Amino acid sequence: MENGDPNNAPSPAHGRIKLNVGGKLFETTVSTLQSGGPDSLLFALSNRAVADPNPVFIDRDPDIFSVLLSLLRTSRLPSTASSRYSKQELADEALYYGVESCLRSAMSPPPLAGIDASVVSTIRPASDGFPSSFTAAGDGSLWIAHGGQISCYDWSLAHTATIRTHFEEVTSICRVWPEIAAVGSEAAPGLHFYDISGGRHVGSTHWTDPSDPRIYKARVMAIADSADSVFASFECPHKENSIFEIDKSTLQTVSEFGRQPGSSAKNMVAGKLTWLPESNAVVGSAVSCGAFGYSGYIRLWDPRSSEVVWETNEPGSGRSSRFGDSFADMDADIEGSKLFKICSKSGDLGMADLRKLGDDPWVYLTDKNYSMRNTSGSGSSVIRCHRGQVFVGREGNLEVWSRVEEGENGVEGENDAMYRRNYVDKLEDAERGTIRMIEGGGDRLFVGREQVEGIEVWESSNFAAAIPIS
Amino acid sequence: MPSLASSVPAPAMSGGSTRFQRSKTESNIVTIDVGGQMFQTTKQTLALAGPDSLLSELAGSDPSQLAHRFIDRDPELFSVLLSLLRTGNLPSKAKSFDLRDLISESEFYGVESFLVNSLSNPSQFDAFNLEKSRILELNGRDLPSTIAAAPSGSLHVVHGSKITSFDWSLRKKSTILTQFPAIDSLLEISPRIVAAGATDFPGLQILELQKGAVRASLNWENATKSASTVQAIGSSGDHLFTSFESSRRNSNCIMVYDQQSLRPVTEIAHFEIYGAEIESAVPATKLRWVPGVNLLMASGSHRGPLGMTGNIRLWDVRSGSAVWEVKERADCFSDVTFSDRLSAIFKVGVDSGEVSYMDLRSLGTESSWVCLGEGKRSASGKKEGLGCRIEGHGSQVFCSRGGDIELWSEVAVMGSSSDRSENGLQGRVFRKNLVGRAKDMGGAKITSLAFGNKMFVTRKDLQFVEVWESTVSR
Repeated sequence: MENGDPNNAPSPAHGRIKLNVGGKLFETTVSTLQSGGPDSLLFALSNRAVADPNPVFIDRDPDIFSVLLSLLRTSRLPSTASSRYSKQELADEALYYGVESCLRSAMSPPPLAGIDASVVSTIRPASDGFPSSFTAAGDGSLWIAHGGQISCYDWSLAHTATIRTHFEEVTSICRVWPEIAAVGSEAAPGLHFYDISGGRHVGSTHWTDPSDPRIYKARVMAIADSADSVFASFECPHKENSIFEIDKSTLQTVSEFGRQPGSSAKNMVAGKLTWLPESNAVVGSAVSCGAFGYSGYIRLWDPRSSEVVWETNEPGSGRSSRFGDSFADMDADIEGSKLFKICSKSGDLGMADLRKLGDDPWVYLTDKNYSMRNTSGSGSSVIRCHRGQVFVGREGNLEVWSRVEEGENGVEGENDAMYRRNYVDKLEDAERGTIRMIEGGGDRLFVGREQVEGIEVWESSNFAAAIPIS
Repeated sequence: MPSLASSVPAPAMSGGSTRFQRSKTESNIVTIDVGGQMFQTTKQTLALAGPDSLLSELAGSDPSQLAHRFIDRDPELFSVLLSLLRTGNLPSKAKSFDLRDLISESEFYGVESFLVNSLSNPSQFDAFNLEKSRILELNGRDLPSTIAAAPSGSLHVVHGSKITSFDWSLRKKSTILTQFPAIDSLLEISPRIVAAGATDFPGLQILELQKGAVRASLNWENATKSASTVQAIGSSGDHLFTSFESSRRNSNCIMVYDQQSLRPVTEIAHFEIYGAEIESAVPATKLRWVPGVNLLMASGSHRGPLGMTGNIRLWDVRSGSAVWEVKERADCFSDVTFSDRLSAIFKVGVDSGEVSYMDLRSLGTESSWVCLGEGKRSASGKKEGLGCRIEGHGSQVFCSRGGDIELWSEVAVMGSSSDRSENGLQGRVFRKNLVGRAKDMGGAKITSLAFGNKMFVTRKDLQFVEVWESTVSR
């Protein structure tokens, strides 16, 4: 008898179940026990015990069970649980009862809002703690590459594994399977695949060209992945570069595209690759900073035809309304089908609609926040799109561009006035160091700073950060 | 607990009947099994929870199921809520629970109003017992510019273009982004809806705090067809008052809206500037409803070459006419408020920095300000009262001066006039105290004060809101 509301059950005795956990009696309903999912231990218990008048005995700690029972009843974790038990204890116990997915959804942070986020923790690998690269997954887990090692942190940011790669320094990392990382280094050749759970090297790909003896020891500069392929940009010591598509299951090269000599800023190796599932294209960008300012390109390739779908070169993309203000960094907002770039000189944010790319698709977002008027774009800038918001790191400052909600009657198409800029961080946060890397994973934002150990974790919270004064 | 469960049959005797089951006298007692633990209470207690709650549903349900009422929830939290229902107060053992758990559990049973009442009751506000109890931090870098508190205890804080709302327990918060670059006036209409306006961005927006959606955007159709900005917002409960100024700054008015439907009701206090007479049309920058006399107090000031000038008017909304008006020339107010219980308007003078009052009961032709201070400060020529805030709450008036808050209260003096003059007391007697302990005094300059059932204070260049609570509560 499954019934969502136990109080309206036609025969109240039916569906009730008694449990004896470590000597303490609990009474609950079958439907509550079953809410943990069909694979759980509690689900199995609920099936057999209905006819049995004696309580089911489970030889576990009763106090921690009462927390998990509250979780099943209310689908939220009691607030006192986090102070009484460590995340690890709760996760282990939830794993035993098979209700880990409930715990996961109750413990995961609320939707990330850049306008209201704070640093909740800093993840510091135990040794060589200066991250060289990191990648985050949709469940909020994080893999950090640091000093040739890869440290893995699960959805609750608990440390699960650290493996050692053969690289001295991993400069690009991509999670291609739940347990497989694709890694590359700017100091050593080849794209390599590591199995995190076993800590083993499981495969590698190199750029070889029998017709051209100069192609050897090509290094990987950027990695991206789609549902079934991995894309990696390779660069030879003599700057010639190309992008390879590698099949995820066989780890064999499928195609090569975008080969270029690398002799100038317009044909440098792509330092950032992103797969755009909606347009079936790979977007790559390269930026170099020289005595005359920034220069670089943004290019979209169709990997099937190996052709460039769209490109822009800065400076020099003739019709740009902002000559001399080339981009410092760019990122693609996959959910919103948009490209964003940050201008190197003015610090403005440019937005291009992926569905309407043309000669000059950029719309420059205006900034109306009084408190941010005086921030110029000089210095290093990093940009990252996540959860429909654009996060920008300028030197040590972290800011967010977020869309303003319109009323039901206010739908007038998309205009630039709908984005508003705000600081995510506080002034003292900015003093920790220049922001080098920003990644979004689930409802978390991960920030890595130059010459700073560890990765900052930013989350939103529904609870007031009230400091009691006693 | 087994020990409790064994005592279940005992109340069946209390009816004086030898029959153990389903006698009419004992049916008043309800036994509930919550998560394996037995609780007994009466139907009356459960019915207190209100008709929509789960608990009153239990009391009224089919008598044949009396023995089997089972709720699949945590028994310990239920025991706290049952005590709350019985006594109206939280038992002291509730302190071992987190308030957030109690709130979500009380929402499940439908008795949240009891929890609100016992923890966040406006009557718990005791002006003489205020202590700084906590600090509410804000994320980002924008300083709080405006705060709005509701009697239930919830608080809305504007920082930059964002509004962060704290619920009555000050435990939960949510933040929305608005279209305004900055917000200068904010008012809670209902716990989920606020009205917001800015002095440099047109229109009054009614915002939903859940998602930040704009429910309505209200504007004043002035003669020049230019957009109008909001200078102040006020409410009487039924009506929403908004002081608009045209963006060319040559005309202003107070629009009266129906607070439910948001339809315009009437337009009062319409002024236009003709020529150079700027002082003829100073927009109202503070609107307060005076419930005792059913009038709207509107005040506005203007800083000209000859110093500050301003006016305070009391408007009869129905007739649309100003019932009473005072023009301020010498020692114009820096801020004005009224106290309904004290039946007086209070101001803090911008030159002297002194608090003065005017009795509402004897407002007439020659009524004038009665200064509460020594009257010495006015000579110095400095703007002593600049930036001072004054707010009335309950029977007291709070006036911020720098980093301190003065509390003015009336002393009820008995005796004949001759006795009083012997004691040196004439007219009404007001005395002041400074709020807080010595360690809380001073500090950065106070930029805003708000009162719900607590006092909320923001300070210059400090990115948080101070909460001052009366110690008697809890």
